[in-house]
Amino acid sequence: MQNDITLITQLQNKDERALSLLYDKYSGAIYSVILKMIKDEGKAQDLLQETFITVWDKADRYDIEKGRFYTWVYRIAKNKVLNVLRKKDLLIQTDDFGVYANKEEDVSNIDPEFLKLKGAITTLETHHKNALELVYFNGLTHREAHKVMNVPLGTFKSYVRQALKQLRESYVKTLSVILLILNAL
Amino acid sequence: MDKKKLLDNGLLEQYLLGELNADQCNEIEKLLASDPELKAKYDLLEQDFESMGLENAIEPPVEVKSNILKLVSKTTIPKAKVIKLYSGGNDKYYLGIAASVAGLLLVGSIWMFSQLSEVKQQLNTVESTNSELNNTIDKLNKELNSNTTLYATLSHPDTEQYILKGNTLMPEGKVVSYVNHTTKSVVINAEKLPDLDAEHDYQMWADVEGEMINMGVISKDKNLLAMNYIDHAESLNITIEPAGGNDHPTVSRLVTNIYLN
Repeated sequence: MQNDITLITQLQNKDERALSLLYDKYSGAIYSVILKMIKDEGKAQDLLQETFITVWDKADRYDIEKGRFYTWVYRIAKNKVLNVLRKKDLLIQTDDFGVYANKEEDVSNIDPEFLKLKGAITTLETHHKNALELVYFNGLTHREAHKVMNVPLGTFKSYVRQALKQLRESYVKTLSVILLILNAL
Repeated sequence: MDKKKLLDNGLLEQYLLGELNADQCNEIEKLLASDPELKAKYDLLEQDFESMGLENAIEPPVEVKSNILKLVSKTTIPKAKVIKLYSGGNDKYYLGIAASVAGLLLVGSIWMFSQLSEVKQQLNTVESTNSELNNTIDKLNKELNSNTTLYATLSHPDTEQYILKGNTLMPEGKVVSYVNHTTKSVVINAEKLPDLDAEHDYQMWADVEGEMINMGVISKDKNLLAMNYIDHAESLNITIEPAGGNDHPTVSRLVTNIYLN
């Protein structure tokens, strides 16, 4: 994080090297989210490019006091994808499920491997995992996601909260294991 | 909006995920700024989302990054841009030249190697043709020499011609012989000798004081050939002998003879 602060300051001063390093660090995670939302490699690459161009152009709008750099980039990417999906959806149809009505049908443009989840989230119970996947990787709002899961909004919110709690425990465990190993060395 | 409502409604998560409108965001940001405990909670939430994001990272193709850096370098201040492009361009320029030279050398070497192989092959062909020609010339020379000798004998003014007519063993056959005592040479025309089987040859003999001296075996594949000249020969005789010739004539198989003057 300390490194990030220096890099972000440099980025805000239009240092291309800083952009390059921040891209190396975060582009994979952002690309993964974009892919899982848009389900089209070509479009995902365009959107990833647009995201980082916006990061470059609007870097001075990022306020480190308000949150992490990654969260800021995540929101930019998500908004860009949602704009594309909304346009596409308007052309097809609109219904109660908003931009996600066509969720199931257009997965043909993408390697299923790109949609697979990895890491701690895969250890969660299915409904917890699905709840997190819908809001974080698929870009649904809570109001859209609870309909997809067919549970009341309140229940869905508690799913998300519990999922996050378990995720926290899992990361703390990982962290303690790493600390233990470091101590042992 | 108070802290309890915010936590109970999962608004912190929704704020993080960018689901809230501008007014809600402002309210939450105010709360976060004023409440360190809440801010700490939010920090953890962000960390977890980021960890989950990084765990699920998928490496994008390299072109995306190079596109971004290209687009970005166009927007930077001109001076820096010029210097960068210049040095970068130069490196590329020299690299380009080096690559071209290397490429040309490679192509050149391959071409020269193929030429070398071709020339080697041509040289081999020329050498074999040359030795063939030499052989032919040798053969022709030998033939010319023997023909010259034969012709010299035939055309010599002192040459005498004897015709050996076949006896009852060889009624159809005859041999014309040319004898020259000056040049001491004998040439015969064996064209009219009947063909023999592979186990037999005609052999010529000279009679000197009652003794038959070998003049040589008559070759089957030549019509005109030189035989050994024997001094003081009284007659010329031809017998049929086992293939390759005999030490003594088989008189019972004498096919023709003639007395010399």
